[in-house]
Formats: sequence, C-alpha cells, structure tokens
Amino acid sequence: MAAEKTLAIVLRVTEFSETSCVVTLFTQDFGKLSALAKGARRPKSPFEAALDVLSVCRVVFLQKSGDSLHLLTEAKLERRFRAGARNLESLYAAYYVVELLGRMTDHLDPHPELFRLAVSTIVELDSAIGEKHELHTTISILLMRFQMQMLSMLGQAPGLHACVECNANLEETIDKKRVAFGLNSGGILCAKCKRNDRRIISLSLSALQGLADAMGTNFGINDAAVRKLPLGEMRGLLDWYITHLLGIKPTILKFL
Amino acid sequence: MTQLSESVVRLIDQLSTLPGIGRKSAERLAYHLLRIPQDDALALADAIRDVKLNVRYCARCFNLAEQELCNICLDPSRTQDVICVVEQPRDLMALEQSGGYRGMYHVLLGKIAPLEGQGPETLTIDKLVQRVKQGNVREVIMATNPNVEGDGTALYISNMLQGLNVIISKLARGITQGSILELTNKEILADAISERRPF
Ligand SMILES: [Zn+2]
Ligand SMILES: [Zn+2]
Repeated sequence: MAAEKTLAIVLRVTEFSETSCVVTLFTQDFGKLSALAKGARRPKSPFEAALDVLSVCRVVFLQKSGDSLHLLTEAKLERRFRAGARNLESLYAAYYVVELLGRMTDHLDPHPELFRLAVSTIVELDSAIGEKHELHTTISILLMRFQMQMLSMLGQAPGLHACVECNANLEETIDKKRVAFGLNSGGILCAKCKRNDRRIISLSLSALQGLADAMGTNFGINDAAVRKLPLGEMRGLLDWYITHLLGIKPTILKFL
Repeated sequence: MTQLSESVVRLIDQLSTLPGIGRKSAERLAYHLLRIPQDDALALADAIRDVKLNVRYCARCFNLAEQELCNICLDPSRTQDVICVVEQPRDLMALEQSGGYRGMYHVLLGKIAPLEGQGPETLTIDKLVQRVKQGNVREVIMATNPNVEGDGTALYISNMLQGLNVIISKLARGITQGSILELTNKEILADAISERRPF
C-alpha cells in the first residue's frame, strides 16, 4: 500500500457515514479514482474545505490493490470554484465538464493532458464575465473547445475532413453548402455512404469548419471570428455525438 | 454457525439497512435488543411507529411537524417577516441550537444537484416564492450549505426572488473563529477578504 501524491479535480462527493464521505477524483497522474475520506464531515476535518465539487486540490491517497475504493489521507485546497455564487450558466457548464470526465474516462487510466485541459477550462469558466448574451457565447466556446480537445485526446474525435467510410474528399461530401454527419459512422459522409447510416445530422459548412478549428489552440474566446460561428448548431451536434458515444444522454444537458 | 430464528434474521436485515450500520453492527444491536427488558424494546418500536405515523412536513415551511404547521410557524413571539432558507430540517435544528435566530424558516428538502439529476422542481422553491409573493416578508436569508451546490441553489432562488421587493442576504463565511490567520488556506482567506464588512 503506497502513498501517492497528485493534483486532483473533485468530481463528486457522497455522504458515506455520519463523519465520512466517498469522493470521486480526476487526478493528474492516476486518472479517475474513488477514495474514502474518513472524518471529512467532522468540523476539524483533515481535508479542510478541499472536498467540494469542482475544487482543484493536492491530494495524498493510499492505493488499495484489488479494490476500487482507495483511502484519501490528505487534501489541500488549491482552487475553489466560485462562479456558482455569481452565475448559474458558468456553474452548469463546469458541472458538464465534471460529468464528461466521469463518464468518458476509466478508473486509474491516466490522461495528464486531459487533466490540464479540464483545469484550465474550469478556471476560465470560473472567471468568465459579461452580460447574459456575451457570457453565453464565451461559455459555448469554452465548452466546445473542451469537448473537441477531450474527444481528440481520448481518440474519439469525430471525422471532419473526409468521408469517414470511404475516405472520399471533403468536396464530394458537400451538398448545397451542407454536409451529412453520420452519428453511427462518427463523422461526415459522402452522398453514397450516407445512405447506410440511419442517423444523419445535416451540418452547415461553417459549423463543420468551426468544430475542426475547436481542436486547435487558436480557438479563443476573444477571437471575433470564433464568436461569430454558429455556436448553437455546433453545440447541438456535439451533444448528439457525445450522447451517441456514451449511449446515454448526459444528465446536465437538460439544465444547460 | 448456529441457525438463527427467522425473526432475528429479519431484525438484523432491517437494522443493516440503516445508514452507517454494517452487518456486524446490526447483529450487535439485534442481540442487545434481545437482551433488554421487553418494555424498553417496545418503547423503541413505538417511537419508530409514532414518528412515521405522526410526523409530517409543515404545510408552510416544510420543517418537521406533528400538526398542519410546525412549532416555529405557530410561535407568535418569533419575527414573522424574516425567512431563513435551509436545505434540511437538520440544518434548521443546528440554527435553532445556536440560539442566534428568532425568525421563520423555509426548508428546501434538498439542494439543486444537477449531477445527481436533482433539479429545482424537486425542492420546495415554488412554495417559498409563493410565501414571498403573498407579502409581509422583509428579508430572505440564504443559509444553504457553504459549498458549490449550496451556493448554486442559493443563487437560483435569489434569481427567482428578483423584483419581489425583498432583501436577500446570505450567511457570512470565511475564517474559522479560533484559527490562525497565517495557517488559513489562501482560498478561504480570499473569501473572507472579499466578504469583509464595515468595522
Ligand atoms: Zn463515402
Ligand atoms: Zn413551519
């Protein structure tokens, strides 16, 4: 039983007993894991206020072999998510990040890059400001960038550059400035191949280009061209795509 | 292992469904109940029966009550135009034990926890809005738990109460009394600074 140190995002905290709770963490070095935090619900808890959803903390845990529940021995709060007291849209978007980390990754399957992406997304969501409409645009961009880059890091990115079935080039997939996106095939389809996918979503060319761009580093919230993209259409497609991948509609979607 | 009687097995099964009670503890409790005088054991059974048959939620504030309204709602000596919003009856009890509050309450019976599928419609928020709309409420104090979900719940409610001509406040938070400043977590310290008040 070795003591391991790492950084973690708190995904979930559930009451376990009068004084203890079970936390699900997404850690930088070990991926997702669940751990028992004894005494966490006591007033003078060794975990201070670190064990709250969306908090980033430095943790020490004892890895139990052959058991999915590890033992958390220390947690120091590095960053608390504050936007929940200010704007609900940021909060719910951050909840969505947490839900996706929980659903898309496996226990003890480390993805340090994804961890860094998630922390920076949560930090940006927390500090996003602006009046309602502006804020909505900013949050859409942040969420979309997170989703596309996460999918790419996990090897699950949709195929956006050629027909995913026969590799016909992009021009052959365009019909009246739109392309067909096949959910079962996981990407765009040419006129011939789209007959074989029963779940087709029609996508505008600018949405297609926007989704491809979201995987890159230049997809910034202050970029005027990015802010003019059909963000609603892009988010809609991603919601369908992720729901299809997971086989279940993420719980947060009905709140977003 | 000896064969236990059917009734004892049933008792152990029931006890082990209680929170924090594992199989071993349930067995220990069952043997204890077998040993004590019949009257004592039946008093416990009666107490469980009474609480389930007689206790319900107060029709106004959703605190635990034995009649239509709870003892707090029925107490005319309390300040009537201030409502303190809490998540659970146990939070209300904690505030009552503090002795620092003499107003009314509203118990949400939960919190908004979208990740657990708990939306605002599962709480008593609409009843709170109704109470405020009926008038005679000067202030609503948000006393949800000081964590992300509690804050989100309080924010949702304060949005619902916007424009209803009522003061909305929330519990102070920050540094624990009796702690040491230089050892306080910097995030907690930041909260305390941003929520400072006039001396
Ligand atoms: Zn094709
Ligand atoms: Zn009442």
